Amino acid sequence: MTAVDEVRRIESDTAPTRFARGWHCLGLAKDFRDGKPHQVKAFGQELVVFSGDDGRLNVLDAFCRHMGGNLSQGTIKGNEIACPFHDWRWGGDGKCKAIPYARRVPLRARTASWPTLEQDNLLFVWNDPEGNPPPDDVTMPVIEGATRDDWTDWVWYTTVIEGAQCREIVDNVVDMAHFFYVHYSFPTYFKNVFEGHTATQWQKGVGREDARPQATESGVAKMIGNTSVAAYHGPSFMIDDLTYHYDDGDVESVLINCHYPISDNSFVLQYGIIVQKADHLPDPEEMARKMGDFIKIGFEQDVTIWKSKARIDNPLLCEEDGPVYQLRRWYEQFYVDVDDVTDEMTERFEFEIDTTKPNEAWRAEVAANIAARASS
Amino acid sequence: MTTPRSAPRPDVRLDDGAMERVTCTTCAARVEVRKSSWEQTSIQWHADAVGACLERRASQPGSGPNATFPGCTALDLSIREAAVRGSLSVQSGDALPVNPEGHPH
Repeated sequence: MTAVDEVRRIESDTAPTRFARGWHCLGLAKDFRDGKPHQVKAFGQELVVFSGDDGRLNVLDAFCRHMGGNLSQGTIKGNEIACPFHDWRWGGDGKCKAIPYARRVPLRARTASWPTLEQDNLLFVWNDPEGNPPPDDVTMPVIEGATRDDWTDWVWYTTVIEGAQCREIVDNVVDMAHFFYVHYSFPTYFKNVFEGHTATQWQKGVGREDARPQATESGVAKMIGNTSVAAYHGPSFMIDDLTYHYDDGDVESVLINCHYPISDNSFVLQYGIIVQKADHLPDPEEMARKMGDFIKIGFEQDVTIWKSKARIDNPLLCEEDGPVYQLRRWYEQFYVDVDDVTDEMTERFEFEIDTTKPNEAWRAEVAANIAARASS
Repeated sequence: MTTPRSAPRPDVRLDDGAMERVTCTTCAARVEVRKSSWEQTSIQWHADAVGACLERRASQPGSGPNATFPGCTALDLSIREAAVRGSLSVQSGDALPVNPEGHPH
């Protein structure tokens, strides 16, 4: 007989001791192209990001192999980063190119360089604990709007999260109910598909009149709902193809939600928005900023929860919850050697949630919130 | 250099009802299915099923950065039929909602 009266205990496995294999976005490429070296703490290490005369963005281990000087405090000279300690010159390929006071560069003068990719005005770095180069088939898909004139530029947010492991944010992709409680959205359709290195979420929703009241004056478009297709391409980079439906037409936008680990208990969370400059949209830049500010509130609430929550590897789920276990099974592929990736981590899995009961409860809660506000 | 970690855990909800085998009546692909309610389904595919699925093979990549195969309509129908026939369990235990107007049979 199973003991239904028994207290359920939270179990937590040891956190991974390595960092996920995959492309990680470090931010807007232009922010690293100001002629200065940039210090980035990632994957439990210190890195230096720099761009020389050739315009290429390079990522190296921050510490000079000579006497340990921190290259991020150095100077860019030509295509190389010069160490502030003794002016040793390091190229983007990790090789020491020159030592101005030496007759020749010693053998083995090579430091760790990280594969980089610049795409859609974003800078990506490849992390692989096994040290292999990035395979072609895991590159993020191109986001067409990011480089088009009829879309806005990225509105970009960066925030450091201390005291949480980045699995917490990845869990979001399956967590339908938290979108209502934490992000003030109202999902009416929710489906996940995991396959290969991608984890996709289809979501449709309606506006929350209690959380985000609509403009009531005439001539202002009314939001009817939204359709979102969001997918993680690898362990850390999510592209959300997000369409808002207004009574005078659709507004197309793309939301990026990405992160890179600093340590096993901290990470950098970044999100960015671009909006299509539709004819019926008076100020797309303003729209992108407003979206960003709204999304920021949701993430800030996420962060508050992550910082105080327990790591839980045996979550107790109800039928109306998403596929948390299967998502984590998928996510595990990035934390083991390529040879140890099993079929069950990558095989296609579909999960569609019945939203009937959640929607009933949420409609009642929204109505109660509106009523409470009206009477106060 | 793999650090041994515990294997991914099975979904705790499978304790209340396991995945069940369903064969697609169109292509004979075999998948594992769990129906939580009439409107909620999870499907575990394997490589041979993906290979056999006709809709999957005929599917176009679609548009947008996240273009992907959303699912097979023939398989969805086979699953629904299996549930209606009673050869696939529906965890909620609700009767088949034959009349959406809310008049129970």
